[in-house]
Amino acid sequence: MHGKYDGEGEQSAFVFEGTWREFAPIAFTNLLLTIVTLGIYRFWATARERRYLWSKSRFVDEQLEWAGTGKELFFGFLIVLLLFAMPVVLINFVAQALIARGQEILGALLGIAPLLIIFYLTGVARFRGLRYRLSRTRWRGIRGGSDEPGFRYGLSYMWKSIVAWIPLGLLIPWSMTSLWNERWNKMSFGPYQFQSDAEAGSVFARFFVFYLAPFIMFGGAVAMAGMGMLAGYGIGGEDGMALGGAFGVIGMILFFYLGLGLIAVAFYAKFYREVVGATRWKDLNFSFEASTMDWVKLLIGDALLVVFTLGIGLIFLSYRHWKFFITHLEANGEILLDELTQSTTRTARHGEGLLDAFDMGAI
Amino acid sequence: MAKDCSTLSTWARSEPMQESFEVAASWYDGKSALRHEGSASWDGLDRLSLAAPTSHIAVPLSDLEFGEARSETIIYRRASEPDFRLTLPAAMPPGLSRHLPEKQVYGGWIDRVGLGRAAVGFGLVSIAAVALFMTAPDWLGPRVPESWERNLGQAMIGDFGGRLCSTPDGDAALAKLLDEVDPAQTQVNARVANIDMVNAVALPGAQVLLFDGIIQQAESPEELAGVLAHEVGHVRERHVMTALLRQFGMSVLLAGANTGVGDTVFGLAAMGYTRDAEREADRYARARLAESNISPLGAAGFFERMAEEYGDDGESNAVVGWLASHPAAGERARDFRNAAREGADYPPVLSDAEFDALKTMCADDPDVEEFDFF
Ligand SMILES: [Zn+2]
Repeated sequence: MHGKYDGEGEQSAFVFEGTWREFAPIAFTNLLLTIVTLGIYRFWATARERRYLWSKSRFVDEQLEWAGTGKELFFGFLIVLLLFAMPVVLINFVAQALIARGQEILGALLGIAPLLIIFYLTGVARFRGLRYRLSRTRWRGIRGGSDEPGFRYGLSYMWKSIVAWIPLGLLIPWSMTSLWNERWNKMSFGPYQFQSDAEAGSVFARFFVFYLAPFIMFGGAVAMAGMGMLAGYGIGGEDGMALGGAFGVIGMILFFYLGLGLIAVAFYAKFYREVVGATRWKDLNFSFEASTMDWVKLLIGDALLVVFTLGIGLIFLSYRHWKFFITHLEANGEILLDELTQSTTRTARHGEGLLDAFDMGAI
Repeated sequence: MAKDCSTLSTWARSEPMQESFEVAASWYDGKSALRHEGSASWDGLDRLSLAAPTSHIAVPLSDLEFGEARSETIIYRRASEPDFRLTLPAAMPPGLSRHLPEKQVYGGWIDRVGLGRAAVGFGLVSIAAVALFMTAPDWLGPRVPESWERNLGQAMIGDFGGRLCSTPDGDAALAKLLDEVDPAQTQVNARVANIDMVNAVALPGAQVLLFDGIIQQAESPEELAGVLAHEVGHVRERHVMTALLRQFGMSVLLAGANTGVGDTVFGLAAMGYTRDAEREADRYARARLAESNISPLGAAGFFERMAEEYGDDGESNAVVGWLASHPAAGERARDFRNAAREGADYPPVLSDAEFDALKTMCADDPDVEEFDFF
């Protein structure tokens, strides 16, 4: 079976082999250097962190490699600052001046422009973040990427997000899955395109529960508060009734936040199972096996880690999240290594396309 | 150390082949995903020969770049072929590892000077940078040429959207008040703005605005003289550019965070001075009032009323922008009250008619614009 991977019957195609003990020295020195450089080192810190995480992630028989550098992230940041943040500050300044001079409408319109730009660029950034990560990921010397710059995706992101909100947010599952498909269908690894045909239908049920939950819970909570008041009255008359009511209200608030949070997590768990499961690469099918319970454990673990270390645990979150992602990611199918040749997508080599490093958000 | 070196170079010259060796190696050519597994042999000079059943290549050592260190292996790249990857064992004979590119951990500079020294160095530079950034408005502000400041002020405010009140009698009263507290050759440009807020501001380009709100609540012209003198103080002590630079610095720091349209005029009005600057402006005001023989009790009364209304600490109330960033109203009231000469009989600074003209200035101006919150 030389030069060919057949995923059937194997344990898991993706394995994470890192340990937090190995990660800790990286995380702590990164923290130190980030503090003494007033945050500037964080670009190099990110690259170091990823180099470790990628090198401990094995796909079939070879570790991944992160080929991105801190320098390019830093330059990407500078360019974003120059092309985008400075104009926004400037526009705001002009808008303020216009309003002070009595041109309220013009000023207000000009004040809205940066918001629209931010909205648009958020979409572009999501696309570019993914493209950047794929183009800096090596497996057996092969990388991924995309030939699209993501400007059209930015427009799709805008109109699909707006359309999703028009029927009171009911189309959000549609916009999320369709944007996922649009993003991944433009990506490739080596010579092959990714293909994704996730459907909103299968995640809609969970979304609907999430959508209706506040109303159901409000009803339940009113009942609970009422019951608390009744129980309190039974025990201690008027005062007891107030106390019981208070307990009922507290219960309702807790229930509201925890319950709603839980349903949101359930939706996201289902969403990722659906979209990753609908993503293919040549003859390889991906799947993401994290259940709602797995997500809940991850998030509770995060919270406990951060709280009990007085915030220092924050530096381990990227490790935990990457491990979670790789551990639950599966792939089935086959790859012919002889046919797997280098990607022909353009990469930033001499500083062109540095905007790639507009790195934001994972998959 | 020096001895070590000389012995080494001797052997390198006389018996190069003796120090050559072969290690296990694997590589990817960066063109296909096929792994080539074989050996790397060093000729003792500047070349590494990679041999595998599937591939034979020679790589100049100078072409190799450090990629990353893994637990037992080191990955090298090639400068001439960015996707080429060579994996060698981490434990290499010292002769060869000397010729291989150096390991990098934290990135260029830091590896060269060591983590500890780099951290201390960066720390010192950072502290200096922060100090510079924090103090820059203080020494840069007063050095901004006045002509720039004037242009900036014009650009920022213009005619304030037609919201400046003007009547012949009102203008005359304001000019009289200004003459008392601003003895300079070129006076500040003081105007009344049709805004119903208890506030007054000094803006770039020696412009002072009294809001109609503060005039309406004033119980005596001395009160307004105090307020006007205080704002003139900000202009004369060149606080305005300093505050503007400070605000600009903050907005750069918070880049993008403050995008609300609602701030607008309030952004200008709430342009914060430091407490020291406020005390300086207050001192200036008291000196001018004393010079012109105007009672400081008016200003004291104003602050007492403010202290009563909003608590002793003006800081806690952000609605009254003028007070928000100013020292505690109670303290300021005391300072003004103490400045009054014992038993002195101050003449009124404006006649009743003049004070009245100021009060009705905005109501009587037929073409002044209303100020509204959109
Ligand atoms: Zn002031």
